[in-house]
Amino acid sequence: MEEKIAKLTENCTAEISAADSESALYAVRVKYLGKSGLISELMKGMRELSPEMRPLMGKIVNEARGKLESLFAEKGKALHESELAARLAAEKIDITIDKAHPVGKLHPLSAVRKRLVDFFVSMGFDVMEGPEVETDYYNFEALNVPKDHPARDMQDTFFIGGNTLLRSQTSAAQIRYMENHKPPLKMISPGRVFRNDDDATHSPVFHQLEGLVVDKGITMCDLKGILESFAKHFFGQETKVRFRPSYFPFTEPSVEVDVSCAICHGKGCRICKGTGWIEILGAGIVNRKVLRTCDIDPDEYTGFAFGFGIDRIANIIHGIPHIKLLYENDIRFLKQF
Amino acid sequence: MKLPVCWLKDFAAIGNSSPQEIADALLSVGFEVEDIIYAGADIDKVVVGKVISCKPHTNSDHLHICMVDVQSEILQVVCGAPNVKTGDVVPCALVGAKLPGGINIKAGELRGVMSYGMLCSGKELGVDDTVIEGAEVDGLLQLPKDIPLGTDIRKVLGLDEYVLDVSVTANRPDCQSVVGLAREVAAAMKVKFTPPVNKYKTVEYDGEYMPEVKIDDELCSRYTGRLIKDVKIERSPDWMRKRLRLADIRPINNIVDITNYVLTEIGQPLHSFDVRFINKGIIVRKAFKGEKITALDGKEYSLEEDMLVIADSVKPIAIAGVMGGEYSGIMSDTTSVFLEAARFDRRSIRITSRKLGLRSDSSARYEKGVDYTSVDEGRERALYLIYKLKAGKIVDICSDAGEKRPEERVIETSAERICSLIGKDIPKQTVEKILRALDIKVESKPRSDKLVCTVPLYREDIEDFADLSEEVIRYYGYDNIKSTFLKTASCTEGGESDKDIRSGEIKELLCGFGAYEIMTYSFIPEKACDMLRLDDNDDRRNYIKLHNPLNEDTATLRTQLTHNMLSTIALNLSRGNDEVRLFELGRKYIPIKGAELPDERSTLSMGFVGKKENFYEIKAAVSAVLSYFGINANINYSAQPFMHPGISADISVNGQTIGYCGSVHPTVMENYGIGGNVFIAELDLETLLINGKSDVKYAPISKFPCVNRDLAFVVSDQYNVGDIMKTIKNACGQDLEQIQLFDIYKGEQIESGFKSVAFSLRFRSQDKTLGETEINTLINAATEKVKSVYGALLR
Repeated sequence: MEEKIAKLTENCTAEISAADSESALYAVRVKYLGKSGLISELMKGMRELSPEMRPLMGKIVNEARGKLESLFAEKGKALHESELAARLAAEKIDITIDKAHPVGKLHPLSAVRKRLVDFFVSMGFDVMEGPEVETDYYNFEALNVPKDHPARDMQDTFFIGGNTLLRSQTSAAQIRYMENHKPPLKMISPGRVFRNDDDATHSPVFHQLEGLVVDKGITMCDLKGILESFAKHFFGQETKVRFRPSYFPFTEPSVEVDVSCAICHGKGCRICKGTGWIEILGAGIVNRKVLRTCDIDPDEYTGFAFGFGIDRIANIIHGIPHIKLLYENDIRFLKQF
Repeated sequence: MKLPVCWLKDFAAIGNSSPQEIADALLSVGFEVEDIIYAGADIDKVVVGKVISCKPHTNSDHLHICMVDVQSEILQVVCGAPNVKTGDVVPCALVGAKLPGGINIKAGELRGVMSYGMLCSGKELGVDDTVIEGAEVDGLLQLPKDIPLGTDIRKVLGLDEYVLDVSVTANRPDCQSVVGLAREVAAAMKVKFTPPVNKYKTVEYDGEYMPEVKIDDELCSRYTGRLIKDVKIERSPDWMRKRLRLADIRPINNIVDITNYVLTEIGQPLHSFDVRFINKGIIVRKAFKGEKITALDGKEYSLEEDMLVIADSVKPIAIAGVMGGEYSGIMSDTTSVFLEAARFDRRSIRITSRKLGLRSDSSARYEKGVDYTSVDEGRERALYLIYKLKAGKIVDICSDAGEKRPEERVIETSAERICSLIGKDIPKQTVEKILRALDIKVESKPRSDKLVCTVPLYREDIEDFADLSEEVIRYYGYDNIKSTFLKTASCTEGGESDKDIRSGEIKELLCGFGAYEIMTYSFIPEKACDMLRLDDNDDRRNYIKLHNPLNEDTATLRTQLTHNMLSTIALNLSRGNDEVRLFELGRKYIPIKGAELPDERSTLSMGFVGKKENFYEIKAAVSAVLSYFGINANINYSAQPFMHPGISADISVNGQTIGYCGSVHPTVMENYGIGGNVFIAELDLETLLINGKSDVKYAPISKFPCVNRDLAFVVSDQYNVGDIMKTIKNACGQDLEQIQLFDIYKGEQIESGFKSVAFSLRFRSQDKTLGETEINTLINAATEKVKSVYGALLR
């Protein structure tokens, strides 16, 4: 009996090591350890042994079975690993081939607008979009530009007839906002504006962002503060801001604001026309007449307003040479941003 | 405003400051200098030379070989001019010289003789008789013999001058003049300002005819006139002509030049009439209906009843402030002049000038606004110049009608108030000093903050303390104030509207579909409606027209975005960009009857172009947008005239069509010049963006297992898969978790006119495990329904 077991163990060990696949190994396992395998058969023969011998032989058989089980496990693992490795190797593909699943992009103007809006919203500014077709009142009269005022020459307006026109400035939204909101208020109004002007540097459609703050004790220094952080945020920490006196009917005092040229850092280049400065926006302290028009007491409240071209900001940030490229929508252009 | 530096020096003691320094000073106080122009920029290395010998060229019948003394050396120059001779003093372009038209002079051989330069005609130097007499003769420009040899020709021609092109803001009409800008320059550079002094002698009035003046309309607030007799019309002196040219004004004759000179220097338009043609007095009145005038430009103008004219007793003799009549203008034989200096309403001048399409330096100036004092300043300056130039005798009689000198505005304020807008406490003394330098009288009492400011009449823009604040900060300098960050402001919440946020999310979603955002103009041409084959009664033909479009492409406001999408696709295809996915989220403009402003509706358009595109690709993108809003839309074959009737769908929500998607009608493709695989979509999102979606509430997820089954039918081609799926869904009820089409087949084994459609169904119940019998019951119900409704066969 003992000999038989040793022989079976020896044979099985040899067959395990000879098995070259998981299925061959499984066949060996069935042959020896299966329900009616050779080892099980041997166990059946136990009945014939003397009661004293049975526990002894049982121990021997179980030891042999345990040994074989661990050999099966070891071999099984090795076979599984090599077979998996072979399968993985066979499954290898050419990863350099591209499957076109492009992801689109926002238009550069949209992307810049989003950044601008996020910047001002983070400082507590409300965002309002006004109508693009406006009345003369909101676009001019209420902004202290009466009919036939020379300031109207500053903007070539598209007229629709009667009292309606295409707004030439987002400042129109200022008035609408102040009609419905009373100080303290902070708002921006990004949007589309129109001018009857079409040449290399002008587009009849472009985008502006108007900003307005009205509260107690608002000063020119506050305006400078906001615009400096705006300029640094968009054009880099090194950016310098310059205020120059100017004129807008709806602000008094009025300023024109330049930022140091991000391209040449003030040395003078083609972008800044050699001046080292790039004009980016107009601003000022809200004209007292405008506040009065909106039923806000100018002796109690003051405010500042600013407005700039989103197109211009986008062009500066991305180095886009012509405003027209923004509206052509050539996909090769749109893919760049 | 063209500001010659030499002219500026008459009033501001700027010494030898460079043009750039003056420009910087102007910029710092709010006057942008757009350009610094050097009048002689076209010419270089041309000097005065004397021909000391002149011999005919042996090898030519018209060339001469000249020896020319240019002071530093003597040059041999070959000259072809007919009038060259020994002793001439002429311009000589040296080797390396630059002449107008980009001509460069080099040393060269002319028929075997070396020439080291070129003797020049007036034409070659780009000048004519108005610049220097003799410039237009055929041949060399003969210069006066007393000019030192070697002198730079630019000095001789008055071209060695700098002119600043100053941009004057609309609130400062007083600075549309040399004197006005000189005052600012002097204050900015802290140098002395000397106002013009006008001294002249008059002759006694001797009963000559002097028209009496009457103002019959409030659009003229003042009208003054002076009589000049014994006028001699002649060329004005070189210094005056030179300055006018630098200011871009063409010299004509002494009287006209004087009025133009004063317009530039003082900013007051003047007009001179030949007194012979003023019939019995002058009346300033509105034009009569049907009245006509031939103006100085030789054209006849029909006047309207709201136009202001200067008339005599029978006819208009000038369109007030715009242009004089030809008939009463200055002629070579004029001997008596009536000189007008007046103030007209700027709005009236603007309207008249626009209506007539007639602009002049005078009307341009009046439109900007002429103040009370400039009428007198301008007239006196002109009289002084007439006296100085001996152009005529000033008669001691004056016509003067209209308003009396108004009171100067007095603003009572304080330094503190002025500084309150600036945000910096500027010392009271500094405030006073700045204001005084600007000709504003300031009274202040010691131990009191109060300032009483008297504003000169020409500063009509200064109305209250805010305007004084601007004057102070202009000169105090923005560089000298420190930034603060809304130090007194309250907290505000802020944020974007839900509509804006949703629009942003829709854009991101479409980017995920591989689509690029485009932005197009809000305009479309009128012909767009025809290109899209819109019916005559299509609502989209009811658009807003622009009153003054740039061209036909900007004639109307868009009532749909499809035209611009197709145009953008056409542009890309024409450039070889044949695989593009585009979208635009913009406004269309729908007129509302009886309302002043249109309905501006946020609208989405898409365009998918390329080999791989098909109807289902764009439909998937449209469905994604609708599902963002949680909308169940109905679709039908599109009724849009510009869509392919069999490969496009109209999309409706609650019975209302909100858009369409699919393939473009072949005729429309032709209209836009596009071909290939083009799919477009448009959705009116306005209502959806405003209403958004209701807040989503959690629904429990079933804990029970699912059962998957497939079903395939053979069904007639006329039935749509979507309908069959709907039928199955309805038949199976809520335990059908999902149904998907997984195969559609036509061809072998399937009778022609039929198709095989196969669906995979997933069943799952919310509250129990579905048994085999329950599933079979549902499947049978669905099968029977599809069989009976569509005559389908189960495969």
